[in-house]
Amino acid sequence: MKTLGLVMSAILALGITGATAQQITYPTKNISVIIPKNPGGGTDTSTRLTLEYAKQYLPSGIIFVPENKPAGNGVTGLIELAHAKPDGLTLGTTTVELAMFPHQKKAPVTYADFTPLVAQIADPCAVVVRADSAYKTLQELIDAAKAEPGKIQVANSGAGAIYDLATSNIEKKFGVKFKHIPFNEGTGPSIAALVGGHVDAVITTPGSAKSQVDAGVLKILGVMDDHRFALFPDVPTFEEALGADAGVAMRAWAAIAAPADLDPAAKEQLVAAFKAVLANPEYQEAMKKQGIVPGTLVGDDVAKMMQADHDLYKELIAEAK
Amino acid sequence: MIDILHAAEIVFSAQSLVMLFLGVFAGILIGALPGLTVNMGIALLLPLTFTFEGMAGILMLLGVYCGAIYGGSITAILINTPGTPASAATVLDGYPMATKGEAGRALGLSTGSSVFGGVFSTIALILVAPQLAKVATGLSAPEYFALGVFGISIITSVSSHSIIKGLMGGAIGLAIACIGLDPMTAGMRFTFDSYYLMGGISFVPILVGLFAFSQAMLGMEDNAVEKGRSKDRKVKVKIDRVLPTWLDFRRVLPTYVRSSAIGTVIGSIPGTGGDIASFISYTEAKRWSKHPEEFGHGSPEGVSAPEAGANAVSGGAMVPLMTLGIPGDGATAIMMGAFMVQGLQLGPMLFTEHPVEVNTIFIGLLVANLLMGALGFLGIRLFTKVMIVPRKVLVPIILVLCAVGSYSVNHTMIDVFVMMIAGVLGYVMMRLDFSMSPIVIGIILGPMVEANLRRALIMSDGDFSIFVTRPICAIFLAIAVLTLLLPVVGPKFGAWRRARKAMSAPDAEGRTAE
Repeated sequence: MKTLGLVMSAILALGITGATAQQITYPTKNISVIIPKNPGGGTDTSTRLTLEYAKQYLPSGIIFVPENKPAGNGVTGLIELAHAKPDGLTLGTTTVELAMFPHQKKAPVTYADFTPLVAQIADPCAVVVRADSAYKTLQELIDAAKAEPGKIQVANSGAGAIYDLATSNIEKKFGVKFKHIPFNEGTGPSIAALVGGHVDAVITTPGSAKSQVDAGVLKILGVMDDHRFALFPDVPTFEEALGADAGVAMRAWAAIAAPADLDPAAKEQLVAAFKAVLANPEYQEAMKKQGIVPGTLVGDDVAKMMQADHDLYKELIAEAK
Repeated sequence: MIDILHAAEIVFSAQSLVMLFLGVFAGILIGALPGLTVNMGIALLLPLTFTFEGMAGILMLLGVYCGAIYGGSITAILINTPGTPASAATVLDGYPMATKGEAGRALGLSTGSSVFGGVFSTIALILVAPQLAKVATGLSAPEYFALGVFGISIITSVSSHSIIKGLMGGAIGLAIACIGLDPMTAGMRFTFDSYYLMGGISFVPILVGLFAFSQAMLGMEDNAVEKGRSKDRKVKVKIDRVLPTWLDFRRVLPTYVRSSAIGTVIGSIPGTGGDIASFISYTEAKRWSKHPEEFGHGSPEGVSAPEAGANAVSGGAMVPLMTLGIPGDGATAIMMGAFMVQGLQLGPMLFTEHPVEVNTIFIGLLVANLLMGALGFLGIRLFTKVMIVPRKVLVPIILVLCAVGSYSVNHTMIDVFVMMIAGVLGYVMMRLDFSMSPIVIGIILGPMVEANLRRALIMSDGDFSIFVTRPICAIFLAIAVLTLLLPVVGPKFGAWRRARKAMSAPDAEGRTAE
């Protein structure tokens, strides 16, 4: 792949426009990429890795310049991206929060303000319990919650954030009530609380509990998606565990996007390049090493997911009030 | 045993040692520059480690981690500006000691305590990591709340001039910590429809403003005063020795041990870090000291305690990371990425599946701490040269560093303005004899106290008895109340006792006269 890139740049340097499908030819300047999260997290890591493997399709001398702008929970970064010129020279990473914040009056921008290009992560929410928990299956957990409403303590990410809404979604779907224990500091402390036995269950992405699950300390009861999660092929989906009408899809995603009304030529080139990146086995390997299951959605498929989530969270947030 | 030898072979290879050295060196620089924090340093160097095979990259990050925590103390002592939040407590006694002309002694003590804290926690990590992890996961929201209150209670003892002003400062800090999204209900608090404020005011710009910018303004003021007299400031910086004297060492050794133990335990609790550890170590040092009246005026224990505590966090934070796969603080969260790239899955399986790598990390941490000490002690003479830089040269440099450091946190100009406003307010408050530390303590510990108080009450369905029925929690809270009241009640009690003595004194005199 590297040699291909070299050959490509050589060809370009000679001024021959013999570009392949994935080649990005439009930029005349460096492309800045706004990452509205702190360095080192899943959003940041996955974005940087994706850019790393996409840069070979850029013209020689042009690079991606990622910049972390986590101020204001990342909303200021999203606003900046939405207001940037749609010339393909400013990209950025949007996250599932974009589907929630507008309904909570936390962001003035929605999915409609962006042109999604690639969703490099789309991890499902999962229900995690201790391996020695009394609840061996999802069904047992739901039954227990029905018997004693508001008794089972479920740790999540703080009111109004994704894992809290996922908990609400379960409650709504099965007519049960949990005691929500918010952990706004992040997933780490909530998993530590579960390991220490201070809460009964945690809703999080499967990857963040992997080391404890592999060691047999924790157990994943089910994932909220229409298919099983690649890291844990033995864990059933909600539909499999609870019956055909129990299907829910709640995914924590991160997607690289451009401002709305992106120049069609630029969009076509970028989507083709990112599609090639997702198919690159080296890229998939690098993502897996970071504990991330690489996404599969590009272009308009991402837009569809964003819109579906926008509607889903609108409903959930309205009900939670 | 073979694993250990194999690991030693990896650490003591030329490549690893060079990487460790570079890491520590870069770490000290990053730590010493106000605004650049430990987390930022590790995040900056993380992509670099992906290119190295094996453990070399991880060793470099360990070096940065140790070096940066230590580096913050250098600027804290020399220019009254903590390089990282973890050194905010070091200014309390470090700077007064340096202005007394004992900059070398202060740096020697802080370097010594940093090495001691780092080595202590590494040994604790090697010997009792699984037990420490049990302690960390055994604590729940009520205990975290009590620990936070315990930390906040020191406000009355770090405000040297006036307890009322200290409490006011603490309240200001807590109020600043309230800005942003409510941690439990996600409602907005004091955001005034600003999306920047929604995420809360970033801590680093405030810290840089309160300490560095206000200090620079004081410097400008002094310059203006001196101009009239056309007399250069003479600061005595004679350095006789860089290692602490035997007398000093013997005096601070108990403080070293106590602070290191505190730092190790706090480091092993997920979600807490060096900033909290250093302040709690400082209070404990004052509580146990035979000379509590020296605190705030250049006490050797006061310089040593925060540094030993902050550096002991490095080993402590590795405990949950390695044994549970849960990072103990922000820096180790970023480091996790480097471990995963090398195919090391952190967590309970690590010790059985990768014994060589585990031992490499152990030995690497030890070597990193020793290298940090070597570089630190060698550098003391060089660092103290800062003290003889003329103020009119130093002040502009500090101002530029303040702006760059604040901007680099979030890449936004708003942070630079926040820093400047905090700086001007800090200057005014300093002129009014407020200390900066209570504000910083409020900002650091406010979110921890609030979130855990409310979480504990959710768990107990609003029943406050959860705080007194759990023994560890109750003990912490009891000591906190004592700490808070002692500086208020203590002098009154002393006066009452003296008064009683004075009453009985005439009798005694009368008797001797007979």
